[in-house]
Amino acid sequence: MSKTTLIIKREYLTRVRKRTFIISTILFPLLYLGLIFGSSYIAAKSGTHLNVAVIDSSGFFDRGKIERENMKDPDSSSRLTLVNMNPDSLAANFKKEGYDGYVVIPARLKWEDSVGSKLTIFTSRTIGGEGTGPVQSKLNNIWNSIKNEKLGIDENKKMILEKNTIKITPQNINDKTANSDVATGIAYACGILIYIILLLYGSQVMMGVMEEKTNRIAEVIVSSVKPFQLMLGKIIGIGLVALTQFLIWVSFVFIIYNVTSASAGGGAMSQMVANAQKIFMSINVPLILFCFIFYLLGGFFFYASLYAAIGSAVNEDMREAQSLSFPITMLVIISITMMSSAMKDPSGPLAVWASIIPFSSPIMMMARIPFGVPGTVPWWQLAASMATLIAGFMFTTWFAGKIYRTGILMYGKKPTWKEMIKWAFRKS
Amino acid sequence: MSYNLLSMPILELRNLKKYFATQKAVDDISLTIEKGQIFGLLGPNGAGKTTLIRMITGIFYPDEGEILFDGKKFDPRSDISHIGYMPEERGLYKKMKIGEQTLYLAQLKGLNKNEATEKIKEWFQRFDMNSWWNKKVEDLSKGMSQKLQFVTTVLHDPKLIILDEPFSGLDPVNTNLIKDEIYNLAKRGSTVIFSTHRMEQVEEICDHIVLVNKGRKILDGTVKRVKQDYKENLFSIGVDQMPANLNGTAPFEILRNEDLSYVVRIKDNNKPNDVLQYLLQKGVNIHSFNEILPSLNDIFIRLVEGTPTARQFQKVN
Repeated sequence: MSKTTLIIKREYLTRVRKRTFIISTILFPLLYLGLIFGSSYIAAKSGTHLNVAVIDSSGFFDRGKIERENMKDPDSSSRLTLVNMNPDSLAANFKKEGYDGYVVIPARLKWEDSVGSKLTIFTSRTIGGEGTGPVQSKLNNIWNSIKNEKLGIDENKKMILEKNTIKITPQNINDKTANSDVATGIAYACGILIYIILLLYGSQVMMGVMEEKTNRIAEVIVSSVKPFQLMLGKIIGIGLVALTQFLIWVSFVFIIYNVTSASAGGGAMSQMVANAQKIFMSINVPLILFCFIFYLLGGFFFYASLYAAIGSAVNEDMREAQSLSFPITMLVIISITMMSSAMKDPSGPLAVWASIIPFSSPIMMMARIPFGVPGTVPWWQLAASMATLIAGFMFTTWFAGKIYRTGILMYGKKPTWKEMIKWAFRKS
Repeated sequence: MSYNLLSMPILELRNLKKYFATQKAVDDISLTIEKGQIFGLLGPNGAGKTTLIRMITGIFYPDEGEILFDGKKFDPRSDISHIGYMPEERGLYKKMKIGEQTLYLAQLKGLNKNEATEKIKEWFQRFDMNSWWNKKVEDLSKGMSQKLQFVTTVLHDPKLIILDEPFSGLDPVNTNLIKDEIYNLAKRGSTVIFSTHRMEQVEEICDHIVLVNKGRKILDGTVKRVKQDYKENLFSIGVDQMPANLNGTAPFEILRNEDLSYVVRIKDNNKPNDVLQYLLQKGVNIHSFNEILPSLNDIFIRLVEGTPTARQFQKVN
């Protein structure tokens, strides 16, 4: 067995056998689902409830209309109440009266105007668009019905005006199966998963290298193998751990899918299975899976070697490592922030370029591929992206190897990036 | 030791140089180490010992000069498996089981799994470490992990063993255990480079020594030779009573008077026999007459005197 293989084996086995690996493999999907359901549950439950007093100086807003509007949606997060007070005393007392805020409808409001009016809601605390939105739409609904009355528009005409609209949905003629809703969901999941794995396992590489350096075992080992072999063995070993974890998750999904589709007798279950089937039919599962593994490993090698270089350069101080790795972490974060704009326009120039440049391609390309190859991502772009990523990680590994070789045996002051780059380009 | 092998050096360094940005870590050092020798590489901290060792172990490439290993040009890729190196700063994976870890390090040195397992069992037996196999390094005391580190260093029967401060942190029992093993290894033909600044251990163990300071070699020879070269003609004479009035004609001068004995320096151009003759003529009753050779510690302080690093030797005695 070659020495690098031995190192890979050790790095892999010591990590996979750890209890934290098993626990995180099981817990992560649960947490992920919990986060999705939990956040939508909280968002649904925690709207801003506003009880708003309305002073009407225009004479259009009567109690009946306001109550009718409140009745239309009793669960709504806001409630309007018409009050007969002058603005000054309301301003002083609205809190005591149990209102969160008040709106004064001015006398100048004219239904004949062809321009809109700006009103203000006065509150004792700061509320955002979440809070003012419902109040605004309630006032508009009332105002619309008043205008309709004045213009002589009956229910039927109102429906024609409101409902008779034109809607367009995108359909890529190169890729008829592409479903942009499903694609967006899958793109999100892929992008975020790669993002998490890059950061999580990248920092594992960094900590592993730091451990070897501070334990001083690095010097023992580099008297048996070349520093580059030690670094490469660690990166590949940890990369395989990440891959193992991902494959376990994929097989979870696969098993759950098969079990439910086999046991689903009817009703809601079979409906869900049919939906899942429809989703799987609409995307190219083998291609996405293959690309995901490629970009997962490619991106991991690209970043892990840089993290390894940092781990070799610092001492046991975690803060040193964090400050030095900040630029690297920043690159990953930039990629994930660009992702959402790439998904709005998966063939736009930002999406195309960012999915070819190696530092952002693992996340960006995986956010585009679910929209369809070659419909959204032409083959040449995929090929170019893969080639640059391979070239990219070969460069970073070479570059990091040079830094690592010097750093792993160097103790004392934390070097700067400038010094590290000098190490890299010094001839041996 | 194995004198039939003496003609064949295991390691030859020729004009080795290694410069770092700010300092000349190793500045033109040449030396020869014979097979089966226990070789002392001495010098204060920062003298260049570690850099020298790192070049011998293939971790650093020399900027200039040449290393011959076993008669051939040193090739780290193949020769590394014949070298065992225990750095001063010891290191093992804390969370890894001891048996597994030892096996891993042995395999990295090129042993296959079966060979390695057999060797480990043998050494664990010898060092009474059999029960350690499934323990983790973090469960061991400092001395115990030191012993383990020594085992991992010599496990693959290296031709050349480099030990950097091997006794630091060991209790006297384990120090003797390791010392005996060093003798055994040398007897079986391994060469040991022993790097330290603990002089009393050097005098006891080493055949040959080299002293480096500020990247240069300032002393090279057998322990006996070095002591002869640096002796100051000091003798300890045990007598009942020194003649009362030593005049200028006496071939020696008294430096110190200790209980029933005198430390004297023989004057230039005189011999020990002249002293004896003089004392006998005076009818002095002599019961002992010993040459006082300088300790290596004294010699080294003298040699590196004037440099700030000399101070660290003065306490060691």
